Parts: sequence; C-alpha cells; structure tokens
Amino acid sequence: MMSIIRKAGFVAAGLLLAFSVSAQEGHPLKGSWIGEWKGNQASGDFLFLVLDWDGKKVSGTINPGTDDMVIKAATLNPDNWTVHIEADGKVKDKAVSYTLDGKIVNLELPSRSIVGTWKSQNGGGALEVVRQ
Amino acid sequence: MLNTKVKALLGAAIASVMLGLVSAPVLAHHPIQAKFDKAAEMSVTGVVTNVDWKNPHVHVFLNVKNGTTLTNWAVELESPLLLKGSGWGSQSVKPGDTLTVKGIRARDGSRQLWSEEVTKGGTALLTLKNLRPAVPAKKEPAPRGADGKVILGSATGYWGFPSSYALVEDAVKVKMDKYGQLADLSDAAKVAPLQPWALALYKNRQQRDLRDDPMFLHCKPPGGPRQYQSDLGIKFVEDKINQRVFILMGSGNRNYRIVYLDGRDKVGSVTGDADNPLYYGRAIGKWEGDTLLVTTKGFNEDFWMSNGGLPHTNNMVLTERFTRPDMNTLQYQVAIDDHGAYTRPWTASWTMQWVPDQEVPIHFCQDNRP
Repeated sequence: MMSIIRKAGFVAAGLLLAFSVSAQEGHPLKGSWIGEWKGNQASGDFLFLVLDWDGKKVSGTINPGTDDMVIKAATLNPDNWTVHIEADGKVKDKAVSYTLDGKIVNLELPSRSIVGTWKSQNGGGALEVVRQ
Repeated sequence: MLNTKVKALLGAAIASVMLGLVSAPVLAHHPIQAKFDKAAEMSVTGVVTNVDWKNPHVHVFLNVKNGTTLTNWAVELESPLLLKGSGWGSQSVKPGDTLTVKGIRARDGSRQLWSEEVTKGGTALLTLKNLRPAVPAKKEPAPRGADGKVILGSATGYWGFPSSYALVEDAVKVKMDKYGQLADLSDAAKVAPLQPWALALYKNRQQRDLRDDPMFLHCKPPGGPRQYQSDLGIKFVEDKINQRVFILMGSGNRNYRIVYLDGRDKVGSVTGDADNPLYYGRAIGKWEGDTLLVTTKGFNEDFWMSNGGLPHTNNMVLTERFTRPDMNTLQYQVAIDDHGAYTRPWTASWTMQWVPDQEVPIHFCQDNRP
C-alpha cells in the first residue's frame, strides 16, 4: 500500500513541479534542462543539461555529478532557434563524444523544450529535454 | 484492487494537481491585442444579464438573440479606474438594459468582445476620457526641503503619464502603442543595440502580440525602467532618517523599490542576498546637485524590463538619473549596460508628469479572474 501512496505522491509532486517552472525571460538556453536521450546504452536514458550564457558563449555540463561532461561547444541559431551542443567525457573509463542537435520548442514558455537527436560513436537516437 | 484509503489519497493527489492547473494564470490583464484581434471588428446588440465591476477589466454580459437562438457574450471594457474617470460607475448599465456594443472579437473565437463603444437606444453611453492632467500654463519651481534639496515626492500627488511607454534608444524614432508594440516590426533592430538572440526573442514577443508578458500573465513586478512606463505611475517617499528612497507603484502588483542612500557597498548585488529583492536589483543612490543618481545591479531574469518585451540578462547594470526641473516634470534618464543582451551600452530618456492632489491610484494587475 505504501508504494502506491508513494507513487501517487511522486506523480502529484512531479506534475506540480512541471507547472511551477521558474520564469526565464533572458537567454532562452540558460537554466537546467531535464529529459531523455533515448536508447543511450552507455550513459542511460536520463539526461540533465545545465546551461549558462555569459554574453558571448553558451557553456555548461551534461549530467553533472554523474557523467559530468563539460560542454566544449554550444551554439544557438536565433534565426530558427536550433541548438548544437558538443561534449566529451568518459563512461566506464572509455572516452565518448556526444553531439546534440535540436530545436527549441515553445520558446515563449518557461518550460520550453529542446527536441532533436543525439549521437556518439556508440550510436544515436531521439533527444528531448524540458527546461526546469 | 485499491482500498478506500488509497483511493482517497490518489484522489487528493490528483485533485491537488488539478487545482494547481486550473489556477494557472490566464490572460487576466493584458495588452488588448494579446487577447483580441484588431482586424475582427464586430457589433452585437443584446440585453445585459450581469455587470462584473472589478479589476483589471470590467465585464458586461449580454444575452444576444440570433433568430431563435440566445447566446451570452462577455464584453470586456477598460479598467474600473479609467471607466470611473470617464464618468462611468458600476450602475451605469444594469441587467435588463438593451445595449449595442461595437468592438473587436477574441482571437480564440470565444464569445468575448473588447469594446470602447457602448450605445443604448442610439445614444452613446461610454466615451473614454484621457485622464492625463493638463499641464499648467505657468511653470512653478520644483519644491525644496529645508536642506535646499529638491523634493521628488511631495505629500499629495504622484508621477504618471510618461512621455514614452517603452524603452527606445535616445534619438531613435519608431512608432509604438502604449503597450510597447511596434507599428512596424521591421523597426525592431532600431529600438536598441540588441544581440542577435535578443533581437530574435524581442521580435518573437512582438509577433505574438505581447501575450507572453509575465507582468500580465503572472503579475510579476515591472523591474528596471518599466516601473516608469505606466500612466498610473509611481510615488517617491524619501526616508531621510534611514537614508533611503522608496519608490511605490500604483499599478501592477503594487510593489516598491528601495534606493539606498547610506553609502553601503554593492556587495552581493549579482547573485542577490536577503537584502536584495532581485526584481528591482540592489539600488545605490546619491544626490548630484538636483539629480538623484541611482546605480543598480543584481536583477534577475524573470521579468520584462520594458513594455514591448526587450530582453535583459542578470549582467544588467542600470544607471538612472531622476531630476525634477520644475513642479510638474520628472526627467528620467537611464543608461543600460548589459553585455549579455546588447552589443554596447545605450541610453533612453523620457519625462513623467506630476498628478497633483491625488494618491497613487490602486490598480492591481489581476484579481485572479479571466
């Protein structure tokens, strides 16, 4: 019974969190993004992106604290709101390079998304992260 | 099978979520064009069923007969404040009155109409007045205190009715309405020296008719220069004992900003601290002759700093100059230094008008209603 109650609690908390995203009216990429890079057997499906904007470039980290990959290049094309991110890291002591390409969806919302694809030397797949 | 207790808990969880969803903000207060389509002019005649005399906008509900069908229309009018200033009251129209209303229809196709033209039996009932007070023919000198310093905030009165409703770089001429919407979107790049992403975002907000404005959607404070872009204005309260100036707002969420004149440091101004409200940053002021010079850092990125939706980042530093050259004029000049959103520092300036013998009017941005 407890597990059902806990599940109900998690569902409620998750949904409430989804609707209590803090506003971000500055650079559209800045902030924390949570979602999935589907089919990623090396790093797992769950994806955290933390992005910042210093006025000249986008910087950030993929999966901070776990895979902890520092983003080496990230660009936003404001003509069509496409995003390109490159990062190198290590998974189980093996070097891996990721390239993420996507587009910002629902730009006007605090809970905007980046939807696109990821790829590495180990494969690729669909990508979707939502700004928190 | 779930037992009753678990079902109840699940129900409560779902209900709490749904409550959160339904109380999410709607376009309670808004630029007119954000909700209504200026190109969709129409007229309806019907019988008043109800009058909802509340902020931010008054609604009159009409039963409109079309053949044998009766439909209810919601007619949205200006704020109670402006209607009252135009000679209207909550009893100006009553249930049972037959009215003809001309206006523009809601973009979402619902039976909602924005109107500034109401007639009854062919007689105009509503004529909106411009509440901007007349400027006295003779200029009076600015009031001064015992210390000889200019008083920015006299006891009765407030500053309102700005000469510009949006930030535009000094010497640039572009046409905008009072919500900061450009008459010609191709003028966007002229407004300020925007970085490419900021220009694209500004144009996106303009193209969406400013409907995403967090000040209207979520009642967020109008931080930065936007505080001085409302007809309903501001009031300075100079607290000489504690060496600070409070700038009180009449509209929006009736917030206030504090300018510290006690020589404190700007430490902590970027990331904020307990003494830093962030929407208004951390403002440090000093007098330079008759001008109050205010430097502010530490803004968050949760608001639009100007009507019309110019973006900013938390790198923004504002240098503002407030001068009262005569009794009825407040000169406002702001230098914007934000390398996160702009290619170079830039300035804008406008004036505000003294509204004598009146307190700052109360006009909340929303009372949690559609």
